[in-house]
Amino acid sequence: MRSFNGPKRYLITGTILLSIVTAFFLIGLFWTPYGINSTDSASKLMAPCAEHIFGTDNLGRDVFSRCLVASRYTLLVSFAGVATALLFGTFTGLVAGYYGGWRDKVIMILSNGVMCFPGILLALVAVAIFGASMFNVIWALGIVFSPTFARVYRSGTIELLDRDYILQAKIMGVSPTRITLIHILPNLMPQVIPAVITGLANMTLFESGMSYLGLGVQPPAASYGKMLSDAQSYMTTAPWLIIFPTLMLVCYILGLYFISEWIRTSVKGGSR
Amino acid sequence: MSRESRNKIIAGAMTLALTLSAASCKSGDASENEGIYGGEAVVGITQEPMIFDPHTVEAAGDKEILFNVYEGLFKYDSQGALQPCLATDYVISDDSTEFTFTIREGVTFHDGSELDTGDVVYSLNRAAELMAEFADVTDITDNGDYTVTVTLGTPNAEMLSNFTVAIIPEGSGDTIGETRIGTGPFVFTSYEAGIGIVLTRNENYWNPELPYLDQVTFKVCADMDSGFLELQSGAIDIFPYLTTDKSQQLDTSRFDVLSLGSNMVQGLFLNNAVAPFDDVRVREALNLAINRDEIINLTMDGAGLPLTTAMSPVMGEAYDTSLDGTYAQDIERASELLAEAGYPDGFDMTITVPSNYLVHVNTAVALADQLSAVGINAEIEQVDWATWLDRVYTGRDFQSTVICLTSNYAPYEVISRYESSADNNFVNYSNPEVDSIIEQIPLTVDNTERNELYHQLLGYLTEDAASVYIQDPYSICAVSRRLEGYELYPMYVQDMSTVHLAETN
Amino acid sequence: MSSTVRATLTKVCEFLLTTLLVSFFTFAAFSIIPGDPARIMLGTEASEEQVEQLRVELGLNEPLAERYVKWLDNAFRGDFGTSLSFNTSVGDLISSRLPVTLGMSLIALIIVLLVSFPMAAICSKRPGKPLDKALSCAGHILFAIPPFALSMMLILFSANVLGIFTAGRYTAPSVNFGSYLSSLLLPSFCIALPKIAMTFKFLRASMIEYSQGDFVRTAKSHGLTDLRIMMKHIIPNSMVSSVTVISLVLSDIMGGSLIVEQVFNLPGLGRLLLTSIARRDFPLLSGIVFYLALITVILYFLADLISALIDPRIRDRRNV
Repeated sequence: MRSFNGPKRYLITGTILLSIVTAFFLIGLFWTPYGINSTDSASKLMAPCAEHIFGTDNLGRDVFSRCLVASRYTLLVSFAGVATALLFGTFTGLVAGYYGGWRDKVIMILSNGVMCFPGILLALVAVAIFGASMFNVIWALGIVFSPTFARVYRSGTIELLDRDYILQAKIMGVSPTRITLIHILPNLMPQVIPAVITGLANMTLFESGMSYLGLGVQPPAASYGKMLSDAQSYMTTAPWLIIFPTLMLVCYILGLYFISEWIRTSVKGGSR
Repeated sequence: MSRESRNKIIAGAMTLALTLSAASCKSGDASENEGIYGGEAVVGITQEPMIFDPHTVEAAGDKEILFNVYEGLFKYDSQGALQPCLATDYVISDDSTEFTFTIREGVTFHDGSELDTGDVVYSLNRAAELMAEFADVTDITDNGDYTVTVTLGTPNAEMLSNFTVAIIPEGSGDTIGETRIGTGPFVFTSYEAGIGIVLTRNENYWNPELPYLDQVTFKVCADMDSGFLELQSGAIDIFPYLTTDKSQQLDTSRFDVLSLGSNMVQGLFLNNAVAPFDDVRVREALNLAINRDEIINLTMDGAGLPLTTAMSPVMGEAYDTSLDGTYAQDIERASELLAEAGYPDGFDMTITVPSNYLVHVNTAVALADQLSAVGINAEIEQVDWATWLDRVYTGRDFQSTVICLTSNYAPYEVISRYESSADNNFVNYSNPEVDSIIEQIPLTVDNTERNELYHQLLGYLTEDAASVYIQDPYSICAVSRRLEGYELYPMYVQDMSTVHLAETN
Repeated sequence: MSSTVRATLTKVCEFLLTTLLVSFFTFAAFSIIPGDPARIMLGTEASEEQVEQLRVELGLNEPLAERYVKWLDNAFRGDFGTSLSFNTSVGDLISSRLPVTLGMSLIALIIVLLVSFPMAAICSKRPGKPLDKALSCAGHILFAIPPFALSMMLILFSANVLGIFTAGRYTAPSVNFGSYLSSLLLPSFCIALPKIAMTFKFLRASMIEYSQGDFVRTAKSHGLTDLRIMMKHIIPNSMVSSVTVISLVLSDIMGGSLIVEQVFNLPGLGRLLLTSIARRDFPLLSGIVFYLALITVILYFLADLISALIDPRIRDRRNV
């Protein structure tokens, strides 16, 4: 292995970063230094200090406590959203790529359609039918993001289908399901994992964008994305409102990214 | 028509003691007529302008711009008093059914045509067709001799303020939304969607001293934050939608900051027809459970007037000052009332908030926190503005909501929504006594008596705890020091006619 | 030749189908979500009668399905109708906003290419050396910062440290092209930075792969200089394989510009889109969605076309 940063280093850095987020998540489940929703006009917009290590927000709420709790919504929305998107995207992408022909055409037209459709509008529809809750937003996000995965799977599958070992398997009469499960899915990991990571990051962002329209996490609950969009008004006076949620997001996304790099390089190294 | 009622044009009920303007409020010196002529100014607005027909316009954001373009027989001044504008004099019959106006001579429209009684009759007729305020007009007569008489079916002592309605050229109704021809100090020059509106100086304005500026641009900013940034970058000179927090960040050597009660009523509005808010004890308990000052500090940095009734003190004599301070926070009493009403452990409720109004969302968060002290678990549901209007305001399908009610500078319009049958009574308030007072008010000619009725009515609303009234938020406006003479109005008006460049420029 | 014509025709048909589908989705969405454009325009102070009258004026009382069919009919003739809330032609509205969104995307793309190619070339020459490590690490971090947060931080930085307030300072290209470009520069950077990381990573990997290829070794043995090898062989070859990544980046850039123009308060398509949804302005939204679909489809079409053109070469080499 000639990689400049040993894959082990990816694994270690990634694990450290993700364990910070996980620690926040776990601690937040049981304990927060202050009530996460307790407002207090006497302690508005305090810069980080001994009592409030991450400072306080415009309603006097402790940012550290909110960061502890926000992790759970961020994790939930991004993971569940990506999982939904993967579910739709993998299936449609594989079918389109494997069979081609009319199935491919129909799926691509549909997925292009979804990609061009404003996600916010879809979320509004979800909320109009089922009410403003996080779960509606999750499935709406899942649909919005599924074409990205479908595309990755489709182009990856088309590329793999030309490979000798798959041609041979086809000739030997191995069933499409088996070919897909054994030969295609694992080999597409290197392309899919970065797409998943990007998806998680984008999902978080999109969720914060939707809270701008009143969709997504409802106040007083918080996700990092929502904390950021709330902080926009206080950008110049209270930068800590932006810095800490951003740091948490970076920890989360970078951690995932390193882990994905580790997986990618390991898979590559293994196959050679 | 009697001599006694011939008034100097001061609308009695409207005169205002402006005790509320904050210390920093620097009023333009009207007495000093030495302003510099020429130059231009850019005003930041946060709402996309939509309608330019003065008789169908409703959005406050449109009205405040059109104030510079169209004029009525009367015009409000910065103290909230009615001033003669296209009328120079008026006479009201004793029974408040006949209004006769003397029209100003020598006024020209922006297209050069001269204003005559025909234009006035045409405009008032058009207003009578289109506007609910004129629904009761039975006759509009051109008496020749530059006077016009308007007759009402039933007496209405509150009618005068409606004659601020715009006068437009005769026959221009179908095209006025595009031609935008009025008599105001500025000519509507251009509008570009999403960008803004450009007004230029009316060279033939009937008051030769006004306006000062050659050009005024109303520039659309996405929201308050971006407006603030544009103010700092110098892209805009005047920005009337600041928060205290933001205004404190401004460099005082570059900007004047003005503030004034905005004559709005923000509250947690309760649907009186839905359990548990159909019980007056529950509504009272909510009123007692919250701390208004704390909410004002949290959401407005203290820049608001606490309210316990449906009208802002800025409204002047119609407001009943004896209601100040009712419903001081009393958690114990609130808990008792809840127990009496059958909710000893509190209950769950939903506060529906329009997500585009950060102040209301923050207020809801603060309310939810305070209500938890009496065991009430308030969940917040954010909806977009269109959904709010449809579901909450029109459909009345809600439990509670935080919103600011705006209105014209007319006390009757503020309280008439509490009539059981009013189509804008979205809180479903119903009290026969209040209904009869609301009916009586327009028939009462005497100012003192009428104010007495207002006081009674406000008392009922407080006593019935019709909703949880919270505050009248100040409007805070920053004006670049390169300009002088800007005045803040207690209503949605951006009067650019008195603004001029500062001497030092 | 005829196969190209056929392929193009198929693409056009697919595009029409896609847009038809999207416009149908939009219509379906509008028939579900609450909101009355007339009430939104008039606000809370207007009476029911006034709202009703505006509804009649705007033709809102006809059923949505009927209005949709009418809209579709006109759209097929190239007329996207008039926006309800702006009372301006939809085409004019969109074309006034396109310079922002397209300009920003284009500048961002140029930044991505200008930065990531040299970066990748430098790093791939000596993989594993400190410079490579430092640049790769910077790339990783940039990739992880969401453009939304990045924009806020850049605004903060430019306002507090550099004393430049950029938000909202937009000049139309027709007024002053120089200030148009400069007003888009910072937002374009915010879109570009995370994508630089992505493109850089991809290019670096493929350049390392090519620099170990046989032809490079041959070239070296023929005595070609490193720079020449880089310019003549490695970069062109990695360019070919990076077409896909660039086409992916492009659609991300388009999406990113919709978010970033919000933060920077630029009058672009993204803001118009949000406004049209907020105002329940069906003709306007349909028009915007059509244009976005058109742009997306054209981008993918170009990417497909380019990969189809170069695919044989890649395939040939792979099978050797």
